[in-house]
Amino acid sequence: MEDIYAELLNKAANGDQLAFKQLYEQCAPKLMSLCLRLMKTQALAEDVLQEGFIKIWEKADSFSPGKGKAMTWMSTIIRNKGLDKLRSLKTKAVETEIQYEGLEFSSADMEPDKLANMSQDVKGLMDCLEQLKPEQRECILLSYYYGHTHQELSTKLDRPLGTIKAWIRRGLEDIRPCLS
Amino acid sequence: MSKLTEKPMNTPDNKQNSKQEQGEQNSTLNRYQNPEIFEQLAIEYAVGSLHGRARKRFEVLMDTHFYLRAVVDAYENKFAHLVELLPDSQPSDRVWNNIENHIQEQNKSLKHTPDKAWWKSALFKRSFGLAAMALVITAVLFLNPMTLTPTVYSAVLETESHVPVAVTRISKSDMKLSIDIMKKVDIPEDMELSLWCHPKEGGEPMKMGEISKQGKTMISISQEEWKNLKNVGLLAIHIEPRNSHMDKPSNKIILKGKLTPSSDS
Repeated sequence: MEDIYAELLNKAANGDQLAFKQLYEQCAPKLMSLCLRLMKTQALAEDVLQEGFIKIWEKADSFSPGKGKAMTWMSTIIRNKGLDKLRSLKTKAVETEIQYEGLEFSSADMEPDKLANMSQDVKGLMDCLEQLKPEQRECILLSYYYGHTHQELSTKLDRPLGTIKAWIRRGLEDIRPCLS
Repeated sequence: MSKLTEKPMNTPDNKQNSKQEQGEQNSTLNRYQNPEIFEQLAIEYAVGSLHGRARKRFEVLMDTHFYLRAVVDAYENKFAHLVELLPDSQPSDRVWNNIENHIQEQNKSLKHTPDKAWWKSALFKRSFGLAAMALVITAVLFLNPMTLTPTVYSAVLETESHVPVAVTRISKSDMKLSIDIMKKVDIPEDMELSLWCHPKEGGEPMKMGEISKQGKTMISISQEEWKNLKNVGLLAIHIEPRNSHMDKPSNKIILKGKLTPSSDS
């Protein structure tokens, strides 16, 4: 499937601000959703989205279509910005305005429409995740979407810290062959 | 998380003894050089389950060790598809307005003072591109098709992401290899850069010598080494433990490029 965002990103790399605005308009809602889950408050999420898109503008010329899709490249930039911000805040999300808790959106039992619109890449990834034990999958997805530390997962899932660490470690060990 | 990844997280902050720190750094490097361990750390980093000091330390190592960066990039790419599953959330107009203002301000200041590092500037890229092109053109122009006997070999060495960083020239007239690294390569104190020639048809690589992290290094070559150059396909810079005197290169290549023969007679 053609990477529609790669073309816009390429134009942005050449200084085309209109193309960059189009890119923002099309991608920001999905990336804002990620920021909200990581940062928990609207203000922090918007700060991260803003800083992330500024970095995308500045680094657009380093995107290489051969290495992946534009959306995955941008997601990684935004998510790493969010994780850096969480680390700099030290005390993570003390006051949460919005409750983003669940993983319903990533459930295996998806509506047919949503399933049909999923890319082959995400289907492949979901197939790999489906091979894991439910608790391993849950910990990995919560780490990815919410940036939870092991300690936070231990509290949230009411399980000993060692158990959480083992679930994640074994889950990632198990998923590696499937991903590669 | 494995025992090996717990250790850096649990290391006390207040270690003052430099010898102890050096030892700790060495053992950390050894851990990260084990493919089984660094691949697990890379996937933990990508998924976000590597936290605190371990995450920070891994980021520092990624800046030096290109292979760590490459593995992390691959896993980040895989997991980034998870974003596709998220429902949309519209940010407020303030976000785009701030981004747009930032870009406008940046454009204004760029007209006066370029704020990018020199090697990232368009001028550098253009200059380096021209220099690299000149090298290739020189190689083509001076190649003597009648004799096909090269008197010069040259190569532009690039990073994994195809950024040209170094130029190498090996000349028969003075039996010298010169390599010029345009951007400083940051490596740990106990490691060094070494230049190796890899044969076209496979087989044992030939070590040309240790080189500086930045600027020009000149290496004298022997007649035998000169003769062997005709069988060389690739020139590569590897990171190796200092004074290791290994007879085989490490598997950590940071820059590489095709060796091209030419003649200046």
